[in-house]
Amino acid sequence: MTHGRLSPFLRQRLLVLLAGNLVLLIAIAFTMKQGGSFTDVLTRCGPNVAPVILAGLGMTGIICTGAIDLSIASIIVVAGTVFGVLVDRQWPPLPCFAACVATAWSLSACNGLLIRNLKMPAIIITLAGLALYRGLALILADLAIPNFGGSLNIQHESYHAPGKQFASAILLATLVGAFVWEWFASTPRRWLALGSSEEACRLAGLDPRSIRQSAFVVGGLFLGIAALIYVTQIQFIEPARLALGFELQVIGAVILGGTNIFGGEGSYAGTALGALFLYFTAQWMTYAGISPYFQEAITGALIIGVIGMDCALHRNRKRLEELA
Amino acid sequence: MAQSLLQLRAVEKSFVGTRALKPLNLSLVQGEVLGLIGENGAGKSTLIKLLSGVHSPDAGTIEWQGRSVHFSSPHDAINAGIATIHQELAYCGHLTVAENLLLGEPWPRHRWGGVDWTLLHARAATQLARCHLEIPTTRTFSDLTAAQKQEVAIARALNRDARLLILDEPTASLSAPEVERLFAHLNRLRTQGVAILYVSHRLDEILNLTNRVAVLRDGKLVASYPTHEATVSRMVKDMVGRPLEQVYPRSRSYRKAAPLLELEGATREGMFENISFQLHAGEILGLAGLVGAGRSELARAIYGLYPCDTGTMRLKGNPWSPRSPDESLDAGMVYLPEERKRQSLVLDHSVRDAISIGFSDLFTRWGMIRAQEEQSAITNAMRTYDVRAKTVTQPIGTLSGGNQQKAILARWLERKPDIILLDEPTRGVDVGAKAEIHQLIDKLAGSGRAVLLISSDLPEVLSMSDRILVMHHGSIAAELHGDAMTQENVMLAASGLHHANR
Repeated sequence: MTHGRLSPFLRQRLLVLLAGNLVLLIAIAFTMKQGGSFTDVLTRCGPNVAPVILAGLGMTGIICTGAIDLSIASIIVVAGTVFGVLVDRQWPPLPCFAACVATAWSLSACNGLLIRNLKMPAIIITLAGLALYRGLALILADLAIPNFGGSLNIQHESYHAPGKQFASAILLATLVGAFVWEWFASTPRRWLALGSSEEACRLAGLDPRSIRQSAFVVGGLFLGIAALIYVTQIQFIEPARLALGFELQVIGAVILGGTNIFGGEGSYAGTALGALFLYFTAQWMTYAGISPYFQEAITGALIIGVIGMDCALHRNRKRLEELA
Repeated sequence: MAQSLLQLRAVEKSFVGTRALKPLNLSLVQGEVLGLIGENGAGKSTLIKLLSGVHSPDAGTIEWQGRSVHFSSPHDAINAGIATIHQELAYCGHLTVAENLLLGEPWPRHRWGGVDWTLLHARAATQLARCHLEIPTTRTFSDLTAAQKQEVAIARALNRDARLLILDEPTASLSAPEVERLFAHLNRLRTQGVAILYVSHRLDEILNLTNRVAVLRDGKLVASYPTHEATVSRMVKDMVGRPLEQVYPRSRSYRKAAPLLELEGATREGMFENISFQLHAGEILGLAGLVGAGRSELARAIYGLYPCDTGTMRLKGNPWSPRSPDESLDAGMVYLPEERKRQSLVLDHSVRDAISIGFSDLFTRWGMIRAQEEQSAITNAMRTYDVRAKTVTQPIGTLSGGNQQKAILARWLERKPDIILLDEPTRGVDVGAKAEIHQLIDKLAGSGRAVLLISSDLPEVLSMSDRILVMHHGSIAAELHGDAMTQENVMLAASGLHHANR
């Protein structure tokens, strides 16, 4: 980090999460029952965690500007419905995949456009979007499929390729692309600038509204890829129940990764590590045989624990620096 | 003859209800340094915001380099060649020094399109070096000291290659050597033909730096003359000159009584230092000084919003180190903060609630307010303090500024405070209401209360106070009594030009 671009706070959060993930992996290895294979855990990890990480990358940029997108789960539902309908119409796989990505991308960009032009807070627009988009998906399915019974059945294996065979590869490629973009592009720094101080941006001659919109446009691309992997992993796409609560899972990973919920600070690497941490926690609890009734509560407690410990460490270090 | 750079013709600006700038004409030529002075609220900041594209004028034209221009955003003004250092710095605390310095400019890129961070930091370092600043460009901006932040802001404006540089109180947080360094730059820019609009309360700086002085008062340009014809007393007279009669009543004559509040060497790092004074019963003690001199901070420390680092305070003879405002209220001290709308009132609350919030706990038993007693106390308070409202249920935000302020005074009446700390009690209040508030303050002191009156309104402080302390840079620069209480003396002490106690 020769350019001093990661704050000490973020650097420390990355280290804490890295250590946490290692501890969890070791714990999983030790608690695994006879017959389970550790390599299986690792290979399964990619496809399972890919949607959260990918959507999280988009969300990171949006939260860094001081905005938020609560409608991402519903956007995935619309993308999935479009995908399902086209599969039902017997389109070949590639155009179906493209349509899925494009749908999610354009809806996210649409969020950005609405926030920009209606001059309303992102949290309100996307809260409305949360209901609106899921509703649109249901209407679309109902209109496009005769005797729509509530779910779209994707049977042929070729339609499952991105989610099942290539998920890990897509995830890795996107992550590499994201890191390069984060490192070498000026736009992510503008997002952070906007999240730090909208006034400073305005006085410096930047247009805060365009910067915020760009975060939604870039975020939409990540969300599109996330949606593709999400919907090609399942056989039955049910617009009414698909991806319920997914946005909270994603926001949780982003915040755990050190992104400031009020904007101005955050990193892609943190989000990826945060998502992994939540995933490995869930895995470990399953292997350790912890009752599902307890798992949610333990996850919540862990989030508070990690962030609490990190903040305490940070405060101590700051104090030491001031003494020195 | 130097070329005309900027010409304002009949420029006007109003904000909800108040006319911040009345039709105003002003011109600037190349290489000229114009000092803009005026009291708080005279319209200086509004004028700057018009020139830097933050606001647009309601009427009139701005001519820039001979052409009529309309700045719809700060971006336009910067592109036209007008760089501004605003009084309140806006910066991105989480980003590095280099990024803040070059925010809003195109960043250097590699041939393949990526940002060239090495070059970016090198460029930032060059800009800092040009201003003789040694600040690592990789530092996070929020870790800088206040002076360093100010210096980076100045470096940013200086490096914009501006034709006109506007500086709004740039030296507020700088020390003497830093000010000298700034002036050296400004003088160098002047020889390069850059025009400078310099706004400051510090009249010594105006005399040192500028070619011409323009004085604003109540949104009007009241005087403009070459600096060599200017004197401190002339500038003060032009800034203040307004009728003083009736607005400042004085019915009582103060006789020295027991001290209610005593401070001995009170210091809080970065806010105020070594403050010692006594405040007596029945006395109005004026606290004058420039914005940022530490007056409000001192009042807040006395009120218990934060502790002093060193020094002692005594209240009615007992040691006083309040941990919270509750204690102050219980001990008979109240504080009226300077920003009425933000710090004192919930604007949507009814007049009744806004007043009774100050004393309703006195009529409360088992968590229930005894409504009848509360009502009669409210009626009594409103009558005593002449709060004019159509009904007690109308939102307090709909009252005039003067009536809001009287309502705030009224809310503390029932507590019968002994010590009243007033912070800019008549800011943004019209002359009629001002006179009424002054009468109230006078009456309060007359009935034996001790009043600490913080005010940037010179005539107010001069005519209301029995004694005046002038603060400069966090310490008391002068204590003025009797005939020494003149505008010149207050202004001189507030600008740091007056050190002897008279």
